Amino acid sequence: MIVAENLVKEFRLAERKPGLAGSLATLFTRKHRIVRAVDGVSFTLPAGSKTAYIGANGAGKSTTIKMLTGIMTPTSGRCLVRGIEPYRHRKDNARGIGVVFGQRSQLWWDLSVPDSFRILHRIYEIPGPVYRRNLALYRELLDIDALGTTPVRQLSLGQRMRAEIAASLLHDPPVVFWDEPTIGLDMVLKDAVRHLVNHVHRELGTTVVLTSHDITDIAAICDSALVVDRGRVVHQGSIRDLLRTADRRSVLFDHRDTTAPERACAGIEQGLPGVSASPAEDGRIRVDYPVDRFTSRQVLAFLLERFDLVDCYAPEPDLEDVLRRIYGGGRPEPVPAEIPCGPAAGGA
Amino acid sequence: MNRSPLPEVTSGTPVRPAARVRHYLPFATAGLQSLLQYRSSFVTTGITAAAGAAVSVFLWRAVYAGSPPGGGPGGFTAGSITTYLLMAQILQILHANRVDDEVAAEVYRGDVAVMLVRPVSYPVVRFFACLPVVAANAVLVGVPVLGLFTLLVPLTVPRPADVLLFLVSAVLSVLLAFLVNLLTGMTGFVTTNTWGVRMVKQSVVAFFAGQLVPLALMPGPLRALASALPFQGMVDAPLALLLGRYDGVADVAGVLARQLGWVAGLTVLSAVLWRAALSRLEVLGG
Amino acid sequence: MTRALWRHVRLAFFLGGVGLHRLSAYRVDFVLGAGAFLIRVGLQTAVVGLVFRQIPVLGGWSYHEVLFLLGFSLLPRGLDHLFTDQLWELGRKLVQRGEFHRYLIRPVNPLFSLLSERFFHPDALGELAVGTFLVIWSGSSIGLDLTPLQWAVAPLLVLCGALIHTSVKLLFASLSFWTVTSLPSMYAANQVSEFAAYPLDIYHSSLRALLTWVLPFAFTSYVPCVYLLTGAAGLVVWLPVVTAGALALALAVWRRGVNAYEMTGS
Repeated sequence: MIVAENLVKEFRLAERKPGLAGSLATLFTRKHRIVRAVDGVSFTLPAGSKTAYIGANGAGKSTTIKMLTGIMTPTSGRCLVRGIEPYRHRKDNARGIGVVFGQRSQLWWDLSVPDSFRILHRIYEIPGPVYRRNLALYRELLDIDALGTTPVRQLSLGQRMRAEIAASLLHDPPVVFWDEPTIGLDMVLKDAVRHLVNHVHRELGTTVVLTSHDITDIAAICDSALVVDRGRVVHQGSIRDLLRTADRRSVLFDHRDTTAPERACAGIEQGLPGVSASPAEDGRIRVDYPVDRFTSRQVLAFLLERFDLVDCYAPEPDLEDVLRRIYGGGRPEPVPAEIPCGPAAGGA
Repeated sequence: MNRSPLPEVTSGTPVRPAARVRHYLPFATAGLQSLLQYRSSFVTTGITAAAGAAVSVFLWRAVYAGSPPGGGPGGFTAGSITTYLLMAQILQILHANRVDDEVAAEVYRGDVAVMLVRPVSYPVVRFFACLPVVAANAVLVGVPVLGLFTLLVPLTVPRPADVLLFLVSAVLSVLLAFLVNLLTGMTGFVTTNTWGVRMVKQSVVAFFAGQLVPLALMPGPLRALASALPFQGMVDAPLALLLGRYDGVADVAGVLARQLGWVAGLTVLSAVLWRAALSRLEVLGG
Repeated sequence: MTRALWRHVRLAFFLGGVGLHRLSAYRVDFVLGAGAFLIRVGLQTAVVGLVFRQIPVLGGWSYHEVLFLLGFSLLPRGLDHLFTDQLWELGRKLVQRGEFHRYLIRPVNPLFSLLSERFFHPDALGELAVGTFLVIWSGSSIGLDLTPLQWAVAPLLVLCGALIHTSVKLLFASLSFWTVTSLPSMYAANQVSEFAAYPLDIYHSSLRALLTWVLPFAFTSYVPCVYLLTGAAGLVVWLPVVTAGALALALAVWRRGVNAYEMTGS
């Protein structure tokens, strides 16, 4: 559905020197430097996938989205959306995609939301039944009627985003690109938006490409992730696979022993070098361990042997931590696990 | 909506004047910096000004083409009317301080509320921010346009004393232009079409200041009306001094006093309206 | 091709309707905007009046002839203003603030999409009203008697004039694709168009040449007025050529600008 082949985008940036003297200097001379925002990115997103496009600020996310929506032409390489090169056939591409740029409005600034929708109805030549069905859907899920006849420019950010999201789906596009779609939305509306996109995806098999700084959005909407760092793809796969790259996992447990929590923790850290243990709320103990040194099985076996466990759970690794590590640099080389105590075992 | 108290903007703990000015200087340099980013704009502003001057110069030179050398209508000669119209355009360049656009835009976008949380007075900020605009326009647009016309058309050379009087009067005219533009921008509090208001202001000021037609060439009642308005002090007054079209020291003093009076009057008016606008802002909750 | 054209025409009518609808929502704005033009043009007329207090004839043109010229110059200007003033926004800020992209993600022509944002600028009705009044009033004062051919051609003269105004505006607005904002140069071009409100005969010959062949504002007022007032064909036969040329040039610059925008983005 969406293909990128060796996509490269370079920019010429004028160098500005800071301060007043700098401004005066740039009045007469201007230097340029070339910045490579997207550096040979290749990927394929199948039809009906819901992909989170993840990267730190300036990782080339927006630039890639702009190329996929046809706003920008790549310096080299190419991309295809529904078999079309977007920047070559902008109008054809536009018919088949829905776009939200959270920071910038797509709507008619001094018209009301219903007026904007009527125009979109005409511009996209949306069949009457589809248009009415979608309006009913937005009425139900996004409470779009509450926006009334206020001109878009007077809406709050949250209100505007609801309208933007609805506008991007109005013509039943097979592909939607949402760049920061939940900016300014409160928890209830965020839930509504998630519900809406999942509904549309179920009904129409819409392909979704999403960027967001909100990890819960990503987890709730997307099933796969594409991680870009410094213009290159560093991970592509399901969110589950992405989480598996976590280098630290945790276990929390409850026990019936009378040992003081501090002593218990010290005992764990001594028994499993490289592991950190700390008392958690409700008298539980939290154990964080590096996955390259211990398997879950080894840690659990150790705990079962030492403590009289009554309850135990292992939370999913924190996506944010995983991403922070990816942005921070490469993953460390796996070190062969040394097993000081407990039964030796295979992989977890 | 929560009625939060607005920060005190116009008064505060008394500060020494020097310290006050220092507070506002960053706004002046920032204004200049953002201006210099668009170097081509000086060239185009110059072209606009030269074209504007050329229209009226050609129009009125056609009128004075056949007039006697001793002076035609209104006591002007072909040379002095040309000087008048050209200098009127130069003054207009000094008056184009963008304050009306910027105040209107900031009111429209609600950015004024952001400015209000800073420990400075917004109108004073605007004043300092426009100074470099005026200076840059004078040096980079006014001087070249004047030079160009000096080469192309015969002008009258004023007496040195009159030049000094003109400079004093021109400073006052710049202050008047700032105040008029500030008041124009503040209409953003009551209408969304500040563009229309600015357009009205521009045409009315150009006409009644005497930029298009010297007041001396207007019929009696119209001239009386123009003299009673503050705009007369923006173009006609400084140019009367420059071209020596006055009658003794008392006349000069009168011209300057009238300008000064209008500066004071409009300052008070904008201060009052600004406070009124703030209380309105408070009611609306920003 | 024709299907696409029809679609845009139908959309244009629809959007014009939305614009009219908006008129009622912004009544004060409308009155203010149209009133602003009324005042502006009224004062411009007053300047002509003051000029003719001093002399009976200006560059060979009588008072009413000059007023006819002034009034006629407002018709193409107003017509252009009515539909294409969104171009000022392009020159002012659309590229600077990175907002232009929204016209590239709609399935209609980007230029159409841009203009459609505000398809109907009622402010222009002020210009058109004053222009019509001045033309009729001064025309009847002169005792102007048009031939059937002149009657037939007159609307085309206005239309071509409007297209010339649009072309110049589009060209200078498109410069913003390279220079980020081109508002100053748009102002400059607009200021130059003011020359067209007076008889070209009072200007220096180099300026006349500029207004005829470089920034062809002479073709929006002076040239058609000479034809309507005297019947002398003269330059008016060039009007279609000049219009087509100006439009082609402006569209070419616009297209290159959009391509350049795609290369650099916001």
